[in-house]
Amino acid sequence: MKILVAVKQVAALDEDFEIRANEKDVDEDFLLYDLNEWDDFSLEEAMKIKESGTTEVEVVVVSVGPDRVDESLRKCLAKGADRAIRVWDDSIEGSDAIAIGRILAAVAKKEAPDMIFAGVQSSDQAYASTGISTAAYLNWPHAAVVADLQYQAGNKSAVVRRELEGGLLQEVEINCPAVLTIQLGINKPRYASLRGIKQAAAKPIEEVTLSDIGLSGADVGAGNSMSHVRRMYIPAKGRAEMIEGTIAEQAAKLIQIMNEFKGV
Amino acid sequence: MDNSKEITRVLFENFQPQAIHLFYAIGYLAIAVFIYGVYVQIRKYRRGKPDGSWNELFHRFVDMVKTMATHRTLVRRDKSAGRAHGLIFLGFVLLFIGTSTITLEYDILEPLFGVKFWYGNFYLLFSLVLDLAGLGLIAGLIYMMYRRKWLHLPKLDYKRVDRQEGDIDFDRSEYRREDWAFLWSFILIGITGFILEATRLVWLNDRPEVWDYRMWSPVGALLAQIMQTLGMASESAGAFRPYLWWFHGLLSLTFIACIPYTKIKHIFTAATSLMFKDQLAGRRLPKVPDDQKTAGYKTITDLTWKNLLHLDACTKCGRCQEACPANAVGAPLSPRDVILSLREFANHALSAKELPKEAELDIHGKDVGQVFMETLWSCRTCLACVEICPVAVEHVPIIVQMRRNLVEAGEMEPLLEKTLQTIHKTGNSFGESKRKRAAWAKELPFEIKDARKEPVDVLWFVGDYASFDPRNQKVTQSFAKLMHHAGVNFGLLFEAELNAGNDVRRVGEEGLYELLASSNIGTLQACDFASIVTTDPHSFNTIRNEYPDFGGKFEIEHYTTLVKRLIETGQVKLKKKLDYRVTFHDPCHLGRYNKGYDAPREVIKLLGCELVEMARNRDNSFCCGAGGGRIWIPDPVGIEKPSANRMKEAGQIEGLQVFVVSCPKDLTMFEDALKTSGFEGQFVVRELIELIDECIEYEVWEDTAVTA
Ligand code: SF4
Ligand code: SF4
Repeated sequence: MKILVAVKQVAALDEDFEIRANEKDVDEDFLLYDLNEWDDFSLEEAMKIKESGTTEVEVVVVSVGPDRVDESLRKCLAKGADRAIRVWDDSIEGSDAIAIGRILAAVAKKEAPDMIFAGVQSSDQAYASTGISTAAYLNWPHAAVVADLQYQAGNKSAVVRRELEGGLLQEVEINCPAVLTIQLGINKPRYASLRGIKQAAAKPIEEVTLSDIGLSGADVGAGNSMSHVRRMYIPAKGRAEMIEGTIAEQAAKLIQIMNEFKGV
Repeated sequence: MDNSKEITRVLFENFQPQAIHLFYAIGYLAIAVFIYGVYVQIRKYRRGKPDGSWNELFHRFVDMVKTMATHRTLVRRDKSAGRAHGLIFLGFVLLFIGTSTITLEYDILEPLFGVKFWYGNFYLLFSLVLDLAGLGLIAGLIYMMYRRKWLHLPKLDYKRVDRQEGDIDFDRSEYRREDWAFLWSFILIGITGFILEATRLVWLNDRPEVWDYRMWSPVGALLAQIMQTLGMASESAGAFRPYLWWFHGLLSLTFIACIPYTKIKHIFTAATSLMFKDQLAGRRLPKVPDDQKTAGYKTITDLTWKNLLHLDACTKCGRCQEACPANAVGAPLSPRDVILSLREFANHALSAKELPKEAELDIHGKDVGQVFMETLWSCRTCLACVEICPVAVEHVPIIVQMRRNLVEAGEMEPLLEKTLQTIHKTGNSFGESKRKRAAWAKELPFEIKDARKEPVDVLWFVGDYASFDPRNQKVTQSFAKLMHHAGVNFGLLFEAELNAGNDVRRVGEEGLYELLASSNIGTLQACDFASIVTTDPHSFNTIRNEYPDFGGKFEIEHYTTLVKRLIETGQVKLKKKLDYRVTFHDPCHLGRYNKGYDAPREVIKLLGCELVEMARNRDNSFCCGAGGGRIWIPDPVGIEKPSANRMKEAGQIEGLQVFVVSCPKDLTMFEDALKTSGFEGQFVVRELIELIDECIEYEVWEDTAVTA
C-alpha cells in the first residue's frame, strides 16, 4: 500500500519586494521559501492512514523543483514520510499547473500508488489545478477540496466530504485509486522539530530527471504549457482623502479636486 | 578534672554475655539492612545516564563541607528553621562522632591493640559536649515539631496544585506521617538517652568516680536530681535501666537501618547533591549529543545519575514552591512536586532487581508519578527554585529536558508552535523581515556602523524585542544615542543578527536553538570587535553562558555594567539629577542568572533617584512571567498573571513614582500589567535607559531628531 503526496515549495514575499526586470515574477531576492501550507495537511492525512491501520503503508512525497526544494522535502521526511522524490530539469522552468500535472502523473505511473494526495492549491500561485490535472492525465477519479476523509489502507473506495460554498458539505464515495486535494483544517499537522529535520538529512532524496519518468523537454516548460504569465505588477493604489472644514470650505475643496481631475 | 582510668563511660556493666551477644547480632543486622539499602539506592542511580560532574572533586568537597558547616543555604529566607536544623545537624554529628569513638575504642583499638582513651579528662569533656549536643538536638526537634503543628506554613502543605482532590497522590499524607515518625523517633532517641544517663547516675550514685563528676553531664545530672527527689532509689534505677537501655539501643539501631529507606537518607543524598552542584545549572542547559536519537527526557532512565540523586536529596522543605511565580499565581506547577513525582517514579521503577519494560518507564502522562504536560509548560525557567533550594536540587534542567521531549512530539500550545516556525523561517519571533531588524536605526540623526564591514570596539547585539517591538524601539534608539554621545565605537550586525535563542532553548526546541546559535556565532566570528554589549538579558545569558559550548567564546556585558562605567569615567556626563522615588525589578536573566544585581542599582543611585526595594528583590526577584518561552504562550484567563502580582507588590511602596526595569521583555510585560492592575496614574514603568536619557543633554542634533 502506497500513498503519493505531491508537495510544493512556495514562495512568500519579503518586506518591500521588487518585480523582476522581465515583469513576469517577483525578484528572487525578495522571496522566502517554505512548504505550501496545504501540503502540511495532506501529508498529515497520509501519515494518519499510515499510523492507524495494520497494513503497511509507504508514504512517498514528490515535488517538482530545483535544489532548494530539498529543504522542504526534508521537513516532510522529518514528519515521517518514508521516501522523497524530487523531479527537476532546467526545461521545466516556466511550466504551468497542467504541465506540472503531466510530470506528477508520469511519476505516479512509475510509483503505482494506491492514493494520491495534493493540497487544494498553492499559496503563491493559487491555480488549484495541479492535483486535478494529475488525475486527468492518469485518468483517475478525483475529489477536490476534501475536508474529511474516511479511508483505510487497502480499501477499494473512500468516503470524502467536500467543502462547498456557504458552509455546505458534500459526501462523496470515490473509487480508488484516486486523487484527492486536501483542504486546510482537515487535521492537525504535526510539528517537525528542527532536530528531526536535521536527522532527516540522512534519508536520501531521490533526484529524478525527465527521462527517468519517460518525458522529455517537449512535454514541459513554458512552451508546452496551456497558459502563460504575461505580466506581474502592483496595481496603482486608489486615492482617498478626507475633506475637512466648514461646508463651504468642503465644497470649495471638492470643486478644486474635480477641476484638477478634469485637467482644467 | 582527674585523668584517672576509673572515670569512664559505663557500657555493658551488669549485662549477661548472651545479652551483649544479642545486642551485637542486632547491631550487625541493622548495619546489613543499612548496607543493602545503600546498595539498592546506588543501583538506582547507576541506572541513570552518565554525567560529567566529576571534575574538581576536592574543590567540590570543600565547598560542600563549608556549606554544611555554615548552614548557609538553610538559613536563607527562613532563619528559624535553618538554625533549628543547625542544632539538629550539629547534635547528630557530635553524637555520631561520640558514639563512633566509643565503638572505635571498645570494639577495635582496645581488643586489638590494648589502646584506651575513653577515660579521664577526655571522657569528661566529651560527656559535656555530647550532653550539650543532645540538648541542642532535642531543642531543634521541638522547634520543628512546633513549626509543623502550629505555624501552618503553606510550604509545608503537601497538597498538590497539579492534582485534584480525590486523586490518590493528591494530599501526600504519607509524607506527613513520615515526617512525624521521623521527628518522634529522633526525639525519643534523644530523650531516652538523657533519661538513661540520669538513671545510670542514680544507680551508681555511691561510686565517687561516677557521681562526683556528674556535673560534666549537666542534663543527666539535673534529671538524676529530679529522679532522686521523686524518690527513685539506686536499686530501682538499676532495675529500670536495662529496659530503657534496650529501648534506646533498639530504637537507635532501627533508625540507622532505616536511613536508606526513608527521608533520613537526605543526610547522605543532600550532602552529595551539594557536592555535585552545578554553578551554571539552568544558565547553561545541557547539549544534546549529535548521535542521540531523541532529544530530552522521555523515560526515567533518560535522567542522569545526578538528576536521580537530586530527586532523592529533596527534603520537601517547600522553599522552591514558595519562590515559584507559576505556583504563586495558581498555575498547576510546583517545582517540589515535579521533583517528588519523579522521585516516587524512580523509586518505584528503578529499585527492583530487573528494570521494567520501556513503556513502564515513561515519565510523561497523567498517572501517579508522571508529570503533566501543563505542569511542564507552566514553568518560566526563572531559576527561583534552583536559586533557593538548600540542597542544590536543579529543577530547571530537568524541566527543560522533559520539554524537549514534548517539543519533539509536538505536544505544545499551537501558538508556541507557530512562533517556533516563525523563528525558523524569519530568524525572529515577530515574523518580520530580516531586512527590518535595524529599521529603528533609520530615524537616528547619525549612521550606525555595520560591524560586518568595519572593525568596532563594541558590537551591539540588539535582540528581538529591542529590535522589533515599537515601544522598545524607542529605548533602543535612546541607547544608541547614549553610546554615540559617549563616543563609543560601536556597530550592529543588521539583518545578519538572529534571535539569540535563549528562550527557544528554554522552550525545549534544541534543534532550532542549535541553528540560531551556530548562525549567530558564525556571524560574530567573522566580525572584528573587542566585546559585545546588549540591552537584552536573555541574549546576554545565552551568549555568555551557552555559546561557549558551541564554540563561540565572546566577551559580553549587559548595558548596565557598560553605562555604569561610562558614567564613572565621565564619558557620559549627567547634566541633571533626578529626584524620583523608584524601585527596581531584577530581570531573572540579569539577576539570578548572572548575578548582575549591583550595576543597575548603582546607576539608579548615580542618577540621583531614591531606590526603595520591593520585598522580593535581588536573588528573590519575582519573574515577570515571560521567561521560558511563556511570552509566546497566552496566559490562561481568569488567573492572575505574575506581572500583575508584581505590580501589586510595587504598589505597596509609598509614593513610588517609577518602576524601573532593565529588560525589553519586562518593559512590555509590566506596562501591560500596570494598565490591567489598576495602578495606572500612580506610578510609571520605565526602562533604566529612559531615566539615563533624561539626564543627558545631547548636542544640537538631538532637536532635529525629535522634530524629524
Ligand atoms: S524556574 Fe521558576 S517558574 Fe519554573 S519551576 Fe522554578 S521557580 Fe517555578
Ligand atoms: S527541591 Fe529543594 S527547595 Fe524544593 S522542596 Fe526540595 S529541598 Fe526544598
